Amino acid sequence: MVCSQCQELLSDYIDGALELGEQINIERHLSDCEPCRAVRDDLLQIVHFSHQLPVQSPSTALWPRINAGLAELQPSFWNRSLRWLQNLRTLNINFSVPQMIATAAAIAIVVSTGIILSRRDNGITPLSTAGITLSPSDPTPLSQADLQVLEKQISQLSESVEQRKDSWDPELRNAFERNLLYVNQSLAECRHQLSDHPGDDVSQELMLNAYREKIRLLEGFDKF
Amino acid sequence: MKPFLTFRLLIFLAIVTTSADSQQRFERSYTPQHPAHLTISNVNGSIHISAWDKKSILARANASSSVAIEDHVIGDEITIVTRRSFRPARADFVVSVPPDTSLTVKNIVGKIDVRGITGPVSIHSIDSDVQLTKVNSPSVDVVVTSGDIYFDGELRDGGSYSLQSMKGDLDVTLPSATSFNLNARALSENINLGSFLNSLSGPSRGPKGISGTYLRGGPRLTLTAFAGRILLHKK
Repeated sequence: MVCSQCQELLSDYIDGALELGEQINIERHLSDCEPCRAVRDDLLQIVHFSHQLPVQSPSTALWPRINAGLAELQPSFWNRSLRWLQNLRTLNINFSVPQMIATAAAIAIVVSTGIILSRRDNGITPLSTAGITLSPSDPTPLSQADLQVLEKQISQLSESVEQRKDSWDPELRNAFERNLLYVNQSLAECRHQLSDHPGDDVSQELMLNAYREKIRLLEGFDKF
Repeated sequence: MKPFLTFRLLIFLAIVTTSADSQQRFERSYTPQHPAHLTISNVNGSIHISAWDKKSILARANASSSVAIEDHVIGDEITIVTRRSFRPARADFVVSVPPDTSLTVKNIVGKIDVRGITGPVSIHSIDSDVQLTKVNSPSVDVVVTSGDIYFDGELRDGGSYSLQSMKGDLDVTLPSATSFNLNARALSENINLGSFLNSLSGPSRGPKGISGTYLRGGPRLTLTAFAGRILLHKK
């Protein structure tokens, strides 16, 4: 798991809204990552503060401005944070002036840390499937639900690619078909291994990588 | 006989003219203020990137005339993109960069060669042999669907190095004094750690993988080959 993934899930982690596997992955990452721990602590402080605040409504223009500002900064990273902030809004929080300043400072810290870390992670972008975030090195066991999500995504991408590939340059079409064959062979081999050794972590890890690779292959050719 | 020769000459001239028209040359020079992040996104063709001792970046490409190459610069973020098209077309890049440049390379088909880089390197391709030589980066991430990956360089303490090929060998050469934590996975062929194996501590060996610590550990070396060998050599 990389920092951007961890931070995308942090607000849900704090809310206790994550599945056990995701929660374990985050805790594993947090145990090794000082910057992410700092972001988590900031978020926890904000949550802690918010529970102690007296009831006062902020101006109606405040939240849309914050939302719009955050959305402009990093839409993908802040989607979950925005949801968290929207949930926070429904708590009908009231701020005194010093509290508002403190809260704004805390938000600024979180925003700047998030931007720095998400920029730092830009070089290695994990694939994000419809419901599963796949990091390059996580040996997360695959559940049936995960497999269904992956296969559904693969099916959609395959359909889209199949419709177009007749118009491609023959050299690239051959490259696509050859590589798809390699990926399918590897997937078949992984399934075979898993049927012989259902609990084998390495085979599960390899199968997850093979699925990820198939999605990457299809996405690469789907953009043409 | 003479008309036949004239006809052949005309055909030859037509071919020469057509091939001359079908090539274009792309050349750009960039002068970043700080270590730059260079992204090259290509479809079909080779990409050769090497470090030099200048602070500027020089990117050259020979490309078919039907290929559109675009570049964008935002601060020290430099992006060179071959517009995607499945017409028969090719673009071959030769790029010189300062050693500390951070690289992101994406390609569909074509060899990728990176030399002498000390910044982070990320390479994702479908059908490419990838060669990394004299690399001393804090992180390296190479994923290819088919193709061999050759790495000859150094690992930095705390760095992360991940190489994966679905159909091809991973060939890694490291200085003998390099410490690392190894996680090697090979689905259908062998893992040969050479003399590194003797000094691997706490190894966990299964039919498909070997994990362990070499010397003091530190850098994370993750090697994944589905249909190919994993070979480690000492320099």
